[in-house]
Amino acid sequence: MGWNGLFKTLVKKLGPLKALIIASEAGRVTRKYPFEPPLISEEFRGKIEIDENKCIGCGACVNVCPPNALTMEQDNDTKVLKYFIGRCIYCWRCIDVCPTGAIRGTLEFELATNNIDDLHEMVVHEVVKCRVCGKPVTTIAMKDFVLEKTRYAEEYIDLDPYCRKEKFIKAIEGRFGYREQQ
Amino acid sequence: MSNSKYLKKSIWVFHLNTGSCNACDIEILDVLTPYFDAERFGVKLVTSPRHADVLLLTGPITQESLPKVIKVIEATPRPRIILALGSCAVGGGIWHDTYSTIGGVPELLKILDNLRIEVDGVYYVPGCPVRPESIIYAIALIKGLAEKKISKKVKKVAR
Ligand code: SF4
Ligand code: SF4
Repeated sequence: MGWNGLFKTLVKKLGPLKALIIASEAGRVTRKYPFEPPLISEEFRGKIEIDENKCIGCGACVNVCPPNALTMEQDNDTKVLKYFIGRCIYCWRCIDVCPTGAIRGTLEFELATNNIDDLHEMVVHEVVKCRVCGKPVTTIAMKDFVLEKTRYAEEYIDLDPYCRKEKFIKAIEGRFGYREQQ
Repeated sequence: MSNSKYLKKSIWVFHLNTGSCNACDIEILDVLTPYFDAERFGVKLVTSPRHADVLLLTGPITQESLPKVIKVIEATPRPRIILALGSCAVGGGIWHDTYSTIGGVPELLKILDNLRIEVDGVYYVPGCPVRPESIIYAIALIKGLAEKKISKKVKKVAR
């Protein structure tokens, strides 16, 4: 017996008025969304928001992101942190690892679109060039961040790792040379 | 705003799981039950793609399911719209570079393009899994009841 049959028996047994009363006592359960606020709570995890003024382009979030929704691309002048919302699984691991607290979780879930380009976000960093060989070393924001923590980093922060190694080896050589002369 | 010109009236949908973990599929079920009641908008689940206007695709499209997915899309009458539900369908999700999946609807569209099978519109609904409300929001977007809220952002770091 389907709903129709059940309803007919009900009407036969009680008369149409009583059936109506029972139905109205049960009330309405249907949510009116999108014409009323959604049922999201404080614990809900939605898309992330990257604060470009706090991000230093360290790539910690890229390392930890399980589906590679966050990726980093570097060329000669820029380092770009790319966030593809369409692939994000909203685990919020990136928020936990970001050393500067640049990533904030939001409650946004109304992300549907008919153009996949809308689901991309980018943070564009300028890079520091090596003062010897001119190759890109790190981002300007990262340089400032490190200098703030350790002042002595000044001597090597804008050196390419290879040039840094050269400098170190030269220093050692110089020291041994000095000893040999004695 | 969108290519909703095809879908002014009741939307009949065919639900197709292409290798999803069932989480998105359960949310689709949730949307169709009285609590969220997508039938408010005339959305009806049909059992054959030949009756459908919209294909609800969930999952990252496994190699195994790909020929069947293409068959279903071919069987859907024009205009046919794809609604890619969940992170797997939108961008391949956590499986985007694994050996046995093709990585979601964007890759599928390339394959369809090669086969000259046309699709009249694709809607992407991110979420892992999609919230019932995000699906309703997508339906509202198609019907022109809601505005698109998301757009591409390029943030330059200030010096
Ligand atoms: S929330 Fe998780 S999946 Fe999304 S960007 Fe952050 S780490 Fe990646
Ligand atoms: S600073 Fe935070 S947001 Fe920027 S790259 Fe590092 S972890 Fe990611």
